[in-house]
Amino acid sequence: MKESVKTPKNPWPPALCAVAIGGVFFYLLAHSAPDPPRKGSNTNLDVSDIINADRIETNFEETGSIVPGLEKPSALAIAPNGNIYIAGKDAVEIFGSDGEALSRFEMDGTAKCINIAQDGTTFIGLRDHVEVFDVDGELLAKWESLGPDTYITSIAADAENVFVADMGHRIVHRYGRNGELLGQIGKKDLNNDVLGLVVPSPHAFDVAFDDEGTLWVVNSGRMGLEAYRSDGVLITSWYKPSFKLEGFSGCCNPSHIAFDSAGRLITADKGLVRLKIYDVTSGEFKELIAGTKDFPTPQPLKDIAVDARDRILVLDPREDTVRIFEQKGGDRV
Amino acid sequence: MSELKKFNRRDFMRGAGALAFSGAAYAAVGGSEEGMLWQLDPNKCTQCGQCTTHCVLNPSAVKCLNQFNICGYCDLCFGYLMPKSRNWDTGAENQLCPTSAIVRKYVEDPYYEYVIDEDRCIGCAKCVEACLLFGNASFYLQIRQDLCINCNECSIAWACPSDAFTKVPVSEPYLYLTGGTAPVE
Repeated sequence: MKESVKTPKNPWPPALCAVAIGGVFFYLLAHSAPDPPRKGSNTNLDVSDIINADRIETNFEETGSIVPGLEKPSALAIAPNGNIYIAGKDAVEIFGSDGEALSRFEMDGTAKCINIAQDGTTFIGLRDHVEVFDVDGELLAKWESLGPDTYITSIAADAENVFVADMGHRIVHRYGRNGELLGQIGKKDLNNDVLGLVVPSPHAFDVAFDDEGTLWVVNSGRMGLEAYRSDGVLITSWYKPSFKLEGFSGCCNPSHIAFDSAGRLITADKGLVRLKIYDVTSGEFKELIAGTKDFPTPQPLKDIAVDARDRILVLDPREDTVRIFEQKGGDRV
Repeated sequence: MSELKKFNRRDFMRGAGALAFSGAAYAAVGGSEEGMLWQLDPNKCTQCGQCTTHCVLNPSAVKCLNQFNICGYCDLCFGYLMPKSRNWDTGAENQLCPTSAIVRKYVEDPYYEYVIDEDRCIGCAKCVEACLLFGNASFYLQIRQDLCINCNECSIAWACPSDAFTKVPVSEPYLYLTGGTAPVE
């Protein structure tokens, strides 16, 4: 009897078949799975038309930037001589109008706001008090604390008074130049048509003088501005709550204000971050400087200022830089 | 008796060492997972809405919360009011929340407190997104640990596009906003 000889079978063809079948199985399994559940239209927030309202051609362009070297840059001001002051944690840096670094002086704490008076005196608002420095950066005075609930957000000084915006108490304090507390502005007083300042956010409470020296106070919770005499008497006010580009939207806007040499109001909005120009007496919207294309995330700007050349300087928290916007071609509108 | 005599001090030390080593190894490898819970880091959340649709529970164990030290107590709260509504009042048709889960309470003129009715909240994050765009960004999402069944593999964590889901110890089961658009100090 002949013994049969078994020849060993090639193991590769069945293995490859098995792999191919497995691959097809898993491919079909992955592609035949139902779509994952999605949100319905009721749970979607579509505000693209509100956001895209500012996607228009503007007469302004970004022409430069200044990168401060200090920690936590948080406040910005232009001195009467044109120098640019940037205040932050424990220091103030001074730049020339073309962005060249000039000098620096030290301080204790993080500045919330800064203002340079006509005589060069520097007023710096910290969380609960004001510090005063001379032209050379020497500390002249440290004013008394306004209390634990104080949150100073803005400061504006003229020849006689220093006005300090206090978000914590929703009031503007009026000081003499020597630090004597003289009064309060913006407290609710319906007998004198003062509705009261509504300030839901520390990013949205600013004070500034216009070209005629009138004090303007942002009433951001009411979406507008109020002008006061130094003794606290309300001169005029206007409010523009609206989701249109011409108005102010969100919880509280504008967040910051400044004035150019012609007395036009420059505003910064928070939320949908925009820079706009208004006629300050009527509240009429004039034009857009920059919008959400330039400020794509909702972090509010830390401060704005306008220099003698009517350039708009913006302290942008996205990269902690000062961004400079000016009119295209260099001509004024 | 002879068996007992063999178990000397050296053997005891060896045994104790082995026990200590295995205890430490268990704690390092697997023991620490016990007592860990899923949670959503609100600082990474991008309000995509997957928390509503991907939780194994219905409604989702993810709920909206309001961090009151950031909230502006606004009259015109656009986490509460629909931005494009005809009127800015408390009518149901003017509310942003699809389930009317935000309760508006008067505090003093013109401030209002906004509290989430969690039984109604479905975690859609519509109010979170609106508050971020138009307000102080005080609304945020969190997994409610009393509702969560703490799946081994959280299905929302798999779907989360911003990798916002993380494990937290039982002793600190919730995370908080560290920024919003308003400073927390």
